[in-house]
Amino acid sequence: MSQAVAQRRAPRRALAVDVPASLNLIGTLGKYLGLVTIFPTAVAIGYGETFWPYVLAGVVASGGSYLLERLTAGSAGRVGVREGFLVVSATWLLTPAFSALPYLFIGGDQLSHPIDAFFEGMSGFTTTGASVVTDFGEISKSLAMWRQFTQWIGGMGIIVLAIAVLPRLRVGGRQLLESELPGPEIAQLSERIRETARLLWVLYVGLTAVLVLLLAGLGWIGVDDRMTLYEAISHAFGTMPTGGFSTQPDSAASFAPASQWILGLFMLLAGANYLLMYRAFVRRQPGRVVRDQELMLYVALVAIASVAIAIQLWGHGIVEGEESIRTGFFQAVSIITTTGMVSADYAVWPSVMLLTIFALMFVGGSAGSTAGSIKVIRHLLIGRILRRELSQTVSPEVVLPVRLNGAPVDERTLRAIAAFVLLYVGAWAVGGSIIAIDSAIVGAGLGPLDALGASATALGNVGPGFGIAGPFGSFAPLGDVSKLTMIALMFLGRLEIVPVVVLLTRHYWRL
Amino acid sequence: MKIFVIGAGQVGVAIVEALHEEHDITVLDTEASRLGALAGRYDVATFEGDGTSRRDLASARVQDSDLVIACTSRDEVNLVAGMFARREARNATTVIRTSNVEYVELWREGQLDVDFVVSSELETAHAISRIIGVPAARQTDVFAEGQVQLVEFDVEDGASSEVVGVPLRDAQFPRDSKVAAIIRGERMLLPRGDDRIEPGDRIVVIGSPQAAQEWSTLLAPGESKVRDVVIFGAGRVGTAIARLLIEQGMSVRMIETSRARAFEVAESIPEARVYNATGIDPDFLERERIGNAHAAIFAMRDDTKNLYAASLAKVHGVKFTISIAHEAVSVEAFEQAGVNISVNPRGVTAEEIIRFAHDPRTKQVALLEGNRYEVLDVTLRDTSEYIGKRFQDMPIRGAIIGAVVRNGSAIFPHRDDMLEAGDRVIVFTEASDADRVVKAL
Repeated sequence: MSQAVAQRRAPRRALAVDVPASLNLIGTLGKYLGLVTIFPTAVAIGYGETFWPYVLAGVVASGGSYLLERLTAGSAGRVGVREGFLVVSATWLLTPAFSALPYLFIGGDQLSHPIDAFFEGMSGFTTTGASVVTDFGEISKSLAMWRQFTQWIGGMGIIVLAIAVLPRLRVGGRQLLESELPGPEIAQLSERIRETARLLWVLYVGLTAVLVLLLAGLGWIGVDDRMTLYEAISHAFGTMPTGGFSTQPDSAASFAPASQWILGLFMLLAGANYLLMYRAFVRRQPGRVVRDQELMLYVALVAIASVAIAIQLWGHGIVEGEESIRTGFFQAVSIITTTGMVSADYAVWPSVMLLTIFALMFVGGSAGSTAGSIKVIRHLLIGRILRRELSQTVSPEVVLPVRLNGAPVDERTLRAIAAFVLLYVGAWAVGGSIIAIDSAIVGAGLGPLDALGASATALGNVGPGFGIAGPFGSFAPLGDVSKLTMIALMFLGRLEIVPVVVLLTRHYWRL
Repeated sequence: MKIFVIGAGQVGVAIVEALHEEHDITVLDTEASRLGALAGRYDVATFEGDGTSRRDLASARVQDSDLVIACTSRDEVNLVAGMFARREARNATTVIRTSNVEYVELWREGQLDVDFVVSSELETAHAISRIIGVPAARQTDVFAEGQVQLVEFDVEDGASSEVVGVPLRDAQFPRDSKVAAIIRGERMLLPRGDDRIEPGDRIVVIGSPQAAQEWSTLLAPGESKVRDVVIFGAGRVGTAIARLLIEQGMSVRMIETSRARAFEVAESIPEARVYNATGIDPDFLERERIGNAHAAIFAMRDDTKNLYAASLAKVHGVKFTISIAHEAVSVEAFEQAGVNISVNPRGVTAEEIIRFAHDPRTKQVALLEGNRYEVLDVTLRDTSEYIGKRFQDMPIRGAIIGAVVRNGSAIFPHRDDMLEAGDRVIVFTEASDADRVVKAL
């Protein structure tokens, strides 16, 4: 009898994911991640501000993670491909929550609401740079620095950092690294993953240090008297991860032209492929790098967009001369690389230029950079896939491999790219609709187009939106549903959708 | 010379056939039936054994041979047999056949411990690319690093009257060339001044590559230079041909039935346009204007498919068809059926290997009309009676000298020129006379 019942019930398939092992790794990661609060604690002590919120946040994160690690230690198996997806997604949900703790404690009216704090935390770690802060005067120096610092940690990736510095991280394959690294996995990394992770971070730290020195140098020699060491560090933290947060209400517009040029150039670097830059700068193989097709298209797109904006600016008489070129370049490179730092309030520009900015939000930087959005390489390959489709319409039998830098690209990768772009556009449309409907209900003052802009800026990890959420505005007036939607979009955008969506499939969980 | 042949397949048989009269041959193969058939036809020693077994090689007395040829259809066997032969017979020349171009490259870099590596694919590709270079030719070969070209033409009705129907001494030949032989039906003439070339003849011309081109234009005025080629079959032979033709600046399209292989080839040869199609689909041939190609090469694995595809391509308007004929008998069948040129890869390979069995003075041999005629590249003996003789005084005794290679460069001799010691001569002769001619020189 009992046998018959058992047979009638559909057999329950075994769980395919080793959850304890995943939790164990998350615990290990979080345990060390808590240590990053040492930096804002030091800043707070230096400026004589309250430092307990950072210490507390660190203790909560490290302690909680330590507990998690201990609780799952006995049953921990190996973290494989499946577990990798879970680890990455969970880490990227938990870390922003942890980084929101200081906002919650000392964020005042602007940030202490849990959703606002989580929004700011997610925006920081995903290097989006969208903010609900309206009055920067009320934010303490250490909290503003913490806000900048979260971008810098998130930019090159928490797990990439962990792989690089933690000695015995139980990570088998490159899956973890690849889920977190922006861009499709086309160039097979020849080095071991630990080696790759290390050189990415070394270059990242190096470039940040150079940027800090250059900016601070401008301050010291008197070219830019507002550029103190504090501002230099915080803006380097906002630039290299293509984040976009600023300590200033008017973002980069408050600094001298020379500082803006330097920030713009470093955004351009931050949006380039780090592995490629490593080859160029460290291994001194500039020839191979210059011929890289993605890099060429990336630079060309920045140049075209800069000129297009500059011409319109000058043509409309908004600004003239060097300023129009600088403003054009800064906005173009900032939006293309999904940094979102601005040197002018584009929200007041004519609508054609707004549409230009809107379109640039979908470009993204290069693969293997800290930039978000679709990315140049995918545009390049989508273009080639379409060209092949057209050729095959005429000659169905012709076999045309899609090539990148002369090497054929695997068909699976091409399918993944097409799928990604579809998912990206789908997520953008759904997110935009939710924000638009919610804004209409709560009367947030965000029109449908602005809502779509908010969706695009969140999903692309760009930062500023349009209308009231423009460069010098804030997302504060949005309803909670809109904010949660944007949080989800930022999260999806940073992990490039697929590793997250995979978790929603039945096939992932059950054998 | 004692020759040891490993492998009694088609290449092995072709080698035995060409060499059995003058040399002492031992053939080793794993299959007794093949050896029996071979021993029934030719006077050779046979030994049943495995080429990859050092013991078998030793008991077949490989150590006594002067030349070891490993020509089974499997690369691995040939490589291992070559290595062992090298150990056992230290003074022998070892030649191995391979179907993998990579081994040829390795050998060129000095990484393979054998004397020569011959690749069927490369030899076939070279043979075809030479034919394509001279579209009117039936067969062609090059000597002296490409400075001298040998071409066999069919003289047809449309040929220029500058050369056809007039006594040779009055005809306007391209410079730097010589008519070495006129083959009329079953008869072969070594031409003299008062002989004429008639329509229906088959002629053998030796000259510079430039002159070969001019001959082609004279004999077949309609046929222009080939620039656009379609290759049916993207196997090893097909891709070897494609690479060579692309190198020569031709536009190459390839048709491959297997989807996976088509992708592989499209990826590795970006210059070629690759289709994943059967090649016998009329719609496809029509849509892709295959009929407009200057030449079509059929390099599929199956002779029957090659023949059918070639016929169909003819129907669609391809004027110049070249087919691979895997079976020796197919060559004739293909030509009967209207395929312009057929190339037998194993024959080509055997021909390439046979030259190692020649007198060391003989650098190269080309075989014409099956094996009836030979063109040899021979270095003169220091005591040769021909040294110091003017060409016009030279008696024609079953052979004709088409070109002279002196200090590395080719000379196309005139009546008053003389041969010098150390010269290499490119000489045409009947195969049965070849030995005598070489001795006389």
